[in-house]
Amino acid sequence: MKVVVNDIELDLAPGTSAIDAVFAAGDDVPYFCSQEYMSPIGACRMCLARVGSPRKDRDGNWILDEETGEPKIFWFPNLMATCTTQVTEGMVIDTRSEAVKNAQNSMVEFTLINHPLDCPVCDKGGACELQDRAYEYGDGLSRFEFDKRRSEKHHELSELITLDRERCIHCKRCVRFFEEVPGDEVLDFIERGSHTYIGTVDAGLPSNFSGNITDICPVGALLDASSRFRGRNWEYDHTRTTSMDDATGSAVIVDARTGRIERVKAALNPDVNKTWIDDGTRFGHEYVDSPDRLTRPMVRRNGELQPVTWPEAAAYVAERLKGLSGKDVGIVLRADSTLEEGVAALALAEKLGTGQVDHAPRPAGSLLPSRPATLTDLATADAIFVVGDVTEEAGILDLRIKDALKGVTPPELLPHGVPIADLRLKERMPRRAEILTVAAPYRVDLMRHAGASHLYPAGGEAELFRALTALAGGGQLTDEQRAALGADEAAARQLVDRLRSASDGVLVVGGFALARREAAEAARAFARAVGVKELLVGPMANSHGLELLGVLPSHERYAFPGMLQEAKALIVSHLDPAKDPDVAASLKERELLVVHDMFLTETARLADVVLPARSVYEKDGTVVNLEGRFLPVRAAPVEAGQAEDFTGVVRYLGEALGERLEGRSVRSARRVLKRRLELDLAELPDNGVIPRLKARPAPKVTTREAPAAGGNVLIAPSMARVEYLHRNPHLNAAVGGPKLSVNPADAEGLGVMDGAEVRLRVGGVWRDAVVRVTEAVPAGLMTLPALPEQGVGLVQADLGSLVVDQVRLEVAS
Amino acid sequence: MSVLDIAKGMGVTLGHLFKRPYTVSYPEQRVDIEPRFRGRHHLLRHPDTGLEKCIGCSLCAAACPAYAIYVEAAENDPDDPVSAGERYAKIYEINMLRCIFCGFCEEACPTGAVVLGHEFELADFRYQDFVYGKEDMLVGTTGSKWQRREAAAKGKEVRIGVEPAPRPELEGVDY
Repeated sequence: MKVVVNDIELDLAPGTSAIDAVFAAGDDVPYFCSQEYMSPIGACRMCLARVGSPRKDRDGNWILDEETGEPKIFWFPNLMATCTTQVTEGMVIDTRSEAVKNAQNSMVEFTLINHPLDCPVCDKGGACELQDRAYEYGDGLSRFEFDKRRSEKHHELSELITLDRERCIHCKRCVRFFEEVPGDEVLDFIERGSHTYIGTVDAGLPSNFSGNITDICPVGALLDASSRFRGRNWEYDHTRTTSMDDATGSAVIVDARTGRIERVKAALNPDVNKTWIDDGTRFGHEYVDSPDRLTRPMVRRNGELQPVTWPEAAAYVAERLKGLSGKDVGIVLRADSTLEEGVAALALAEKLGTGQVDHAPRPAGSLLPSRPATLTDLATADAIFVVGDVTEEAGILDLRIKDALKGVTPPELLPHGVPIADLRLKERMPRRAEILTVAAPYRVDLMRHAGASHLYPAGGEAELFRALTALAGGGQLTDEQRAALGADEAAARQLVDRLRSASDGVLVVGGFALARREAAEAARAFARAVGVKELLVGPMANSHGLELLGVLPSHERYAFPGMLQEAKALIVSHLDPAKDPDVAASLKERELLVVHDMFLTETARLADVVLPARSVYEKDGTVVNLEGRFLPVRAAPVEAGQAEDFTGVVRYLGEALGERLEGRSVRSARRVLKRRLELDLAELPDNGVIPRLKARPAPKVTTREAPAAGGNVLIAPSMARVEYLHRNPHLNAAVGGPKLSVNPADAEGLGVMDGAEVRLRVGGVWRDAVVRVTEAVPAGLMTLPALPEQGVGLVQADLGSLVVDQVRLEVAS
Repeated sequence: MSVLDIAKGMGVTLGHLFKRPYTVSYPEQRVDIEPRFRGRHHLLRHPDTGLEKCIGCSLCAAACPAYAIYVEAAENDPDDPVSAGERYAKIYEINMLRCIFCGFCEEACPTGAVVLGHEFELADFRYQDFVYGKEDMLVGTTGSKWQRREAAAKGKEVRIGVEPAPRPELEGVDY
């Protein structure tokens, strides 16, 4: 479709908006209300341009200009908002004439009438769209002589978001975001005209994605409360990296100043997170700057941990290892370690000659799907079956599923990137809820958007998938199988039919099903039976990568936590198994315990050697997300003392053992990975790649599973990482602490009330939690957020150990 | 060159011999300083409320060509504000070794909070003593860190080497 923008002729696809035509021509128009992934509404009137197009007469011939003989351009009588104008054949767009300049200048003047211009104290100052556009397109004069609108300057919308009502220019981005992207309608305009303000009737912003409105606000009206007044935009060091918060690998920008992380913002990765991140990713970083971080290695001497240098600590470990056989050493990483750290661990294990190497948390089922789906597949799917609580596990999955419900495919990239105004998106679009079915043991958030829901009994994932597979095979169900469905049989049949007839069906398998091998295998069998692609959600950021790399024990006996009993010496990175008093007692009997962590955890207190670890924001490396996409992780400039990542540990240990090991640095580990994967990870683009790996390893599962046993507490995934929650004050205040969700009937039986602070022993581990009494959890089941050491799944809690507000209660069994 | 020329030249010398000398016997005597001299910075307060003018916006730090200023802001307690408005400077530091006394900070300041005064005796012994914090610069503080330390040790008033001339801009800015 031919379009002329300021005398430049372009060939654009039909359906392109005029604003994108202007940008595609390399020109510029100002805009405030449009956003790449939201509906264009023409609210701000900044993108005005003179637009005209030729017309056809009754016979279908172009009406020609009598003088030139060219098709005559009929100009629209008024200037048009280009974001809501669709290009037509032969359209002429003019953004440079005096009339357009006048209009732009007038709009800047009008927008600034009630804007307080307190840029020096505004956190957006320096990165503010209004500031930039006013500078570029305004003439700096105002004829408005009257008092500006006065309004609330510091309105706390939630613990995480502060609203300055004076600064708002009514672009409606935040209101549209909540309705269009997560589908939680929590904000709206209240009142009219110049009295209009943004408000909510709810207490706080009940959404898991509320932080995104601070990114998209074109002015400083909506601000991140956790980074309030922490620094100016030009003072931050911006690091474009990949979030290690969950398995989706969202693109983020880490803003640091004087060695502290002040905020995390979303970055654009069209294939993964678009421009959104969940609140756990955005606000879950404050623990990094916690004052109690370990900054120096320590060695236990005379019963006390004493600071030493790295070479001294490494020499001590090497000395102690001498008396042991190499195969008695166990090495375990947390599953958000980078691939490079995985290589380092494997190199160290090889040097010592041990097969006791593992990463945790690691589900019993394999995470490498046979028919992998990408996130784009998910966003364009025509039938989706979700098993688990993916909103909490990996928030971006939730948003990409909601993209699929809209039925709008991801836009084609234009020369200037993602189209600014995608005219296919509308406010309050109809959603195809019927294509989504969600199954979980309790009511999950995504069920609000699903056409059908299955509430199956907790721990019954294998039975659910077997029953569905039986339905797919055309068989009749037994009563037991019917009970396992968690919904009526007709709904289940409909689900199976829909998945089978779908051309792009996706099965999303969350942690509950992956927790047990038989359930994971049943899920895989079901996916094969109905012919859909699989998306397996790992418990942590690099679960897929570490399995792909083979950071796995040589024998299932050696898997974590079995290793804690088997190994005589242990090197534990970022994990705290001693939260369980029984494990702590057994750890005391180990001959050598080396803990590599950021804080003096329970395990570190027992250790012989404590090594300071870098946080996920301070490492360079590579992470593989749940679709198999290799994404770069870059270190933000954060003051971390002498902390090292695991490659550093291996470097010092290798030197002490008299060898330069292959994973001794990120570069050295990348050389190994280049050999093994034929992929140069140093050259990885920001948005990552899904490489076609030549030798795809067969799923290798080496986990010793406890026999399936019932339990009364379901360890559930959590958007906010519980192990760091008390060190993330803003996020903790917003989520209200780690939640023990209890059904009202059970709450009565236990004698606990909503909001009560309790302590109880769950699966051996003492857990502190805040009671949330909710109908979402079925009677007889409680849910508690997962820890890295306590992965998702059903466990038995000792209700006799329940302590409410430090007062032990007699609990009737 | 004739004898006359030499006599002319010596005449000039002779003439100056009986003029009032320009030399000031500093430090016994105080120095006259031109009104636009740029010396040590002062941080001002609003004369009526006593609140600090500085809002911690860091624009001075951004304008500083020598990277001599470090500002860290925080939010005011509405019941006990430090400055007018929401934001105040929790930390405001100028490294006087780095500072080139160009006065760009003064120009950049949107509230007229930082001005360069007439004090110039900034010599000191240790590097860290050249980093001036808020307490060293807030209006009402006289003398450099060293001068105040000396005065405190000797139990005397701080005596600076310049006549503390009235500076209306230290009292408030006319808008």
